[in-house]
Amino acid sequence: MANKNITLVEVEKAVQVIMDTAFENEDYFSELDGLAGDGDFGNSLATGFQVIREQWDTLPRTNINAFLMKVAMLTTSHVGGSSGPIWGTAFMRAAIYSREKDDLNLTDIVNIFDSAIEGIMQRGGAQPGDKTLIDALIPTRNALAEVKSDAPDCWKRALKTASEAATQSIEDTKNLQAKRGRQCFTGERSIGTVDPGIVAVATIMNNMNKAFTQ
Amino acid sequence: MNKFFNDPNNFVPEMCEGLVMANPDTLKYVPEYNMIYRSDMPSNDKVAIVQGSGSGHEPAHIMAVGKGMLDAACPGNVFAAPPVDFCYECIKRMNGPKGVLYIVNNYQGDKMAWQMAEEMALAEGINVKGIMVDDDVSVKDSTHTIGRRGVAGNFFVIKAVGAASEQGADLDALVKLGNKVNGLVRTMGVALTSCTPPAKGSPIFQISDGEMEMGVGIHGEPGRRRDKMKTADEIVEELFKAVADDLPFKSGDRVALMVNGLGGTPISELYILYRKAAEMAKARGLTIIKNYVNEYCTSLEMAGASLTLLKLDNELEALLNAPAEVPIRVF
Repeated sequence: MANKNITLVEVEKAVQVIMDTAFENEDYFSELDGLAGDGDFGNSLATGFQVIREQWDTLPRTNINAFLMKVAMLTTSHVGGSSGPIWGTAFMRAAIYSREKDDLNLTDIVNIFDSAIEGIMQRGGAQPGDKTLIDALIPTRNALAEVKSDAPDCWKRALKTASEAATQSIEDTKNLQAKRGRQCFTGERSIGTVDPGIVAVATIMNNMNKAFTQ
Repeated sequence: MNKFFNDPNNFVPEMCEGLVMANPDTLKYVPEYNMIYRSDMPSNDKVAIVQGSGSGHEPAHIMAVGKGMLDAACPGNVFAAPPVDFCYECIKRMNGPKGVLYIVNNYQGDKMAWQMAEEMALAEGINVKGIMVDDDVSVKDSTHTIGRRGVAGNFFVIKAVGAASEQGADLDALVKLGNKVNGLVRTMGVALTSCTPPAKGSPIFQISDGEMEMGVGIHGEPGRRRDKMKTADEIVEELFKAVADDLPFKSGDRVALMVNGLGGTPISELYILYRKAAEMAKARGLTIIKNYVNEYCTSLEMAGASLTLLKLDNELEALLNAPAEVPIRVF
């Protein structure tokens, strides 16, 4: 993909990567959630994304906005528990940002991360350091922002550094006590256990890196 | 489970169909979004007022759709928040030049769905704002909420903004008015039995004969405590004191007093509760300007009741007295 802006084709592929990550890791994510949560995270994600997979061929493809807005609606309504509105908010913010845009450069993607992070914090009430997926999204965003959108091979470099940052966030947050999200009901028991939402973001970023650069 | 239904999964759509068939001139229905709306909406002349929460609380809210009350409602399944596309479509279809006001009871699922729908609608240039209702004094946080729950006091918010909207109030004025009513209304309820959502097929919580759940939520969420059944007067004493002390309501205040049935309590018993509540209001020096004894916000067939006080001023009194035409109030 060299340096060209991404279009609906790549956006579709990115959504596909997110969905496939959820399907491939359904049991693993639920297992992680079972350690300090209610053990349904993997299943919630996979069940919800299954509805998108079933409707894949009929999703609107007039532009990035219409496509992502429908993905946002389906995610919000079909992914169980509060994960639906939280993941749906990320897609919705991306959709709203992409209004009247036919393609997106790396700076646009950083702006989408900013908008999504703000939206998720607003929706779920989490702050940085509460041990939620926010703590994976922020370092991922910061890593993306370090690469200039006119740098040679910017996408390749951005995806590599972002997936490394996301992976690092798993260990960086392991010893925090969860204050919001999946693990917050278990209090101190969450210390020393990785957060499944953070692991999910890291796994997605690693799979994005593979899908788009190899 | 002795209940009237055909397929439990069609409980909500068949209820909506029946409601529209009974009110063919005034109501319309969009089955894809469980959306019941006034047949003369959207309008160029008024702000549209919409609400959607879980079903199972009827007449809230689909049977509160009509002139002077809600313009549309889009409930989810029984005790389940409406999906975000229901809320979004409801806002979009009701939008006119004066915009849309949504009312949401303070439950996490409802709030998230409506706030997302609001963001989507705003991005399309629709003028939409929301107000949140949290009148239940019984507990601070609960199973489905951060903060207080929204219960029967919601009726007064709908009635006030519905009347003001008919009189031409703009969106900002309605937001202010709705927040004012929410600030002046307090409720607490008690459950004597549980209830059974048709698709679930079993009661949502267990309660024995001779027990009551004081401060229950309208989805059977735990309240302040489980207690032995007491006399009607003793129960009203606790409900009234909790509600009246919270604002607090003071001697000289003019009020509206509501005794709301939760679905399985006969109206005869509701008047036994009203009798004591009216005595207590008088003893506190409150003047009851209007009273409401009926079912306004229920939990399917749960036996129980809630007590609501609203502090009135001239503005609110006039709005409560303004005409309204909804299915449950046709004589």
